[in-house]
Amino acid sequence: MKLNALTWIIVTLAVTAWVFILPVEAVATILVLQLALLLYIKRSKTMLAVIGGLGVFTGMMVLFQLLFGSSLETSLIGGLRMLVMTLAFLCMLATTRIQSIAKALVDWFRLPVEYAFMLTTALRFVPNFLEDSTVTLDAQSCRGYSNRGNAIKRMLSYLVVIRPLVMRAVAKSETLALSMELKGFGQNTYKNMPKDPFHLIDFVVLLLVAVLSTYPFWIGRVMGG
Amino acid sequence: MEHVVVFDGFHFKYLRSGMVLKDINLEIEKGSFTVIMGPSGAGKTTLCKCITGILPFYMGGDYAGDIRVLGESTKGKKVSDLAMKVGLMLEDYESQLVSLTAGEEVAFSLMNHGFPPEEVAERTRKALEDVGLPGRESYQLDELSGGQRQRLALASILAVHPEVIVLDEPVSAMDPDGGETLYKLLHKIHQEYGTTIVVVEHRVEYVIPYATDMVALKEGEILAAGPCERVVPEIYKDPVLRPLLPDLWRVKCRLEERYGVSLGLWRKAADAVDELRRKGFEGGVLEE
Repeated sequence: MKLNALTWIIVTLAVTAWVFILPVEAVATILVLQLALLLYIKRSKTMLAVIGGLGVFTGMMVLFQLLFGSSLETSLIGGLRMLVMTLAFLCMLATTRIQSIAKALVDWFRLPVEYAFMLTTALRFVPNFLEDSTVTLDAQSCRGYSNRGNAIKRMLSYLVVIRPLVMRAVAKSETLALSMELKGFGQNTYKNMPKDPFHLIDFVVLLLVAVLSTYPFWIGRVMGG
Repeated sequence: MEHVVVFDGFHFKYLRSGMVLKDINLEIEKGSFTVIMGPSGAGKTTLCKCITGILPFYMGGDYAGDIRVLGESTKGKKVSDLAMKVGLMLEDYESQLVSLTAGEEVAFSLMNHGFPPEEVAERTRKALEDVGLPGRESYQLDELSGGQRQRLALASILAVHPEVIVLDEPVSAMDPDGGETLYKLLHKIHQEYGTTIVVVEHRVEYVIPYATDMVALKEGEILAAGPCERVVPEIYKDPVLRPLLPDLWRVKCRLEERYGVSLGLWRKAADAVDELRRKGFEGGVLEE
């Protein structure tokens, strides 16, 4: 059974807080659970690549901390906390439709509809942007663009691809804005969307979140009592 | 005779441009299939945008005169309210799609205008079926081909049951088969629902079988407007617009001019062959 988008947002926010209040063993357990969940949802090359990429990024963070004089233990724990936080967002995005997240943000967190809609339109235009970049690259290659030389030279020469690409993106965004106006985009956009119902599992998860979030208080009472 | 769109002494210029539309007086008949043609820069797209109120009320510009859509002036109207009566499909239809799935795209306008969920679902289903995409509600946009995405854009317009659909060069980026398929679909909609179709088209040969009315624009002015039978000979007389006429109609006008005969408005090559045989044209010349 799928969790409600609001539940996922709360879980994600809670995990970002837990990594600082829970002991490192608990944070490591969350990491294992997150990895299991992600691989259960989609055991594909893309998913493995994303997790691997985050792993590399975490490794770089650990290295930086070491370079700036932190101890190995502190660096590793810092890296672990960052990885768990990032994976929490990945879990939410992998399990919940972006439209549902946007609606929950508008309904429950009073996010302005324009910003919420940006989440979905950004995702909607990723394939178009990639397609445009290929077309522009091909067109400019025909006109003599070459990706050769040192890094600075390559960066400078890439400007001839970026400029028309940006112009195309601006033109498309104007059409998109016009289309949204024609379709009556506004406050009603999210208000009239189908409701995302809460199930028993949502309440169970939210209760668990409440218990784990008040963990230091309960432990204190149990140990003290 | 009922008119769905009326331009009354309308002039328009963009904020930093010369006059784009000059003294436009035009009536588009209810239930017609009107083709707007003219050379590049004649003001065809501007005219389209004016019908839908985008110009001058959304994008700005200076204007004089009035435009009435279904009897009401477009002045002071919200573009989205006008869009419930006049649907617009832009040339860049890809960027007109705002949602992630086909179903959401079609439902978007309806939800924004507060239609009940059951009606939204039913209209979405029917609109997708009408454009030949039945049961594709859950398809992601990148799972649809270019032609299917164009039909989806049309479905999202159809779902609001507009009385007029305006299309700006809908087949400009399509292969001939795709172009023919789209116009067949538009013809079906035109026949089935009596929707008035207004289309800006450079390649008039696509619309020969379906067009009932034509508007010829040149340098922002209307050169001729009305039923095809009356407008085509006038377009032929103009050396700038003549090359834009399809071959079939150019041949007809040339024969009329040369032999002083009156020929019907051929919709396909077979019509031409039949009529020319009937009228005694054999071997390409009129046998005396």
